[in-house]
Amino acid sequence: MPESAEEALIEALRAEHLDLVEEARVIRPKRVAILARREGFLDLARALRDEHGFLHPVSAGAVDYPKEYRIQMIYYLMNPSSRFMLTLRVDLPRDEASLPSMTRIWEAMSFHEREAKEMFGIDFEGHPNMVPLLLPPDWRGGYPLRKDFEGEGAEP
Amino acid sequence: MSEPEIKPDIMRISWGPQHPMSGQTRILLDVDGEIVHRLIADLGFTHRGIEKILENRTFMKGIIPIERMVMVDTANIGLGYVLAIEEALGVEVPERANWIRSMICEMARINSHLYAFGLQAEATGYFPAVFLWTTVDREVLLDLFERLTGARWSYNFFLPGGVNADLPEGFQDKVIEGIQYLRGRFAQYWDAMVENAIFEMRCEGVAVLTREDALRLGATGPVLRGSGVDMDVRRDEPYAAYGDLNFKVITETAGDSMARLKVRFHEIGQSLDMIEQVANEVPGGPVRTRAPLFARAKPGEALSRVETARGELGIHMFTDGGMNPYRVKINSPTLRNMYVFERLAELDEVLIADVPVVINSIDPWYLDSDR
Repeated sequence: MPESAEEALIEALRAEHLDLVEEARVIRPKRVAILARREGFLDLARALRDEHGFLHPVSAGAVDYPKEYRIQMIYYLMNPSSRFMLTLRVDLPRDEASLPSMTRIWEAMSFHEREAKEMFGIDFEGHPNMVPLLLPPDWRGGYPLRKDFEGEGAEP
Repeated sequence: MSEPEIKPDIMRISWGPQHPMSGQTRILLDVDGEIVHRLIADLGFTHRGIEKILENRTFMKGIIPIERMVMVDTANIGLGYVLAIEEALGVEVPERANWIRSMICEMARINSHLYAFGLQAEATGYFPAVFLWTTVDREVLLDLFERLTGARWSYNFFLPGGVNADLPEGFQDKVIEGIQYLRGRFAQYWDAMVENAIFEMRCEGVAVLTREDALRLGATGPVLRGSGVDMDVRRDEPYAAYGDLNFKVITETAGDSMARLKVRFHEIGQSLDMIEQVANEVPGGPVRTRAPLFARAKPGEALSRVETARGELGIHMFTDGGMNPYRVKINSPTLRNMYVFERLAELDEVLIADVPVVINSIDPWYLDSDR
């Protein structure tokens, strides 16, 4: 028997969706990290919502790792009954960072994906309204939260 | 923001950012006659790049910019960041410091909810006086903050490892005095606002958000609890001294603007009780462990969650062994609630005249959503 809800989730995912999950671990109580594969990411997200009750979206954001040549996109999700924070992650190559939009699964990820697009340059395929969220419409400075951002006016 | 297309026979009104009731944002209203069909929020007018600023400062120095996110609620925001630092550096906090933290956080919550009441009274158009009352009454709290921390706003009082100073001589008595005064005042607010027939007409049944929609759209804080969802980080994942304090999670089932206001009203009552409990029962001992001011955190990550006045704030801090955080992701409550606001016109009938009431019922703080 798994000891906690966190471990139960990880065991269930390993049993059902082993091919979609790269790595799953409990960081500490109430914090679970799942690193998913880019292929089939949408299927895993749908399974998390429909089969594991993660129907309460919290947020989404990204982290840039230029040395390892990847950007990690992170979705923060919550299950209203077990109430731990699930961070669903996926690594994307820096030069062609693209992912199917999660707005099909969690509508409220719309704002967060718009922010990730303007701040990190991640393309979300199938996003219904991809316009800048926080930056001005005439912004020409590249992607501000990438580590190699040099200031407004530099080439993206 | 480039504007989405307008449907035929629909007029688009641009509301804000100069409108007195809109705050620092622009809302596009697609209206047919008096009925609003679609709300579109244009955020970003107060974007300052706090996440990038934090990457270029040491852990300690980040406390100052991050508290600027929500000026009426600096304690809760600052605590979220400090908790993330403590998790990243592995710093322990003495019990007395935790109790003092909880007290200040609850005082800040009252301060913030008072401001929300004042604005909601303004938005209904009938009670400009209430805004003055709340502004006067929060002086009680600001004086207490000044006595304890030396500053009325943005006190930078929480540090990794505890709090900056111990409670001054006679502070608990002043707190009890202030609580008794505020309890009397809130009885008056209840009569003037919640029990008032005109206020009821403006708020009751306006912009109803059902339980399912609140969960699905990622609402948080009083917006989520006003729709009957029993979620509060203080109880679900106790931080500071909330594991030892007596309180219940407040929920309302109606899901309308009035329910969200009532949640805030009842939360203030709970906050006053908690502050009183801290003033009476705060344990002795040191208020700070010596944490190094300039420290290197080992590579890894820390994710802290706190319940601010507007809802759940998450600080996800990545460290790479350097003096600064590698990346700080701020999960801001207002950004989540603004998405709910955008959808409200489609979920329930909203009139043009109701828009100020609806936007203030989610209690937005645009410096929080824009960061």
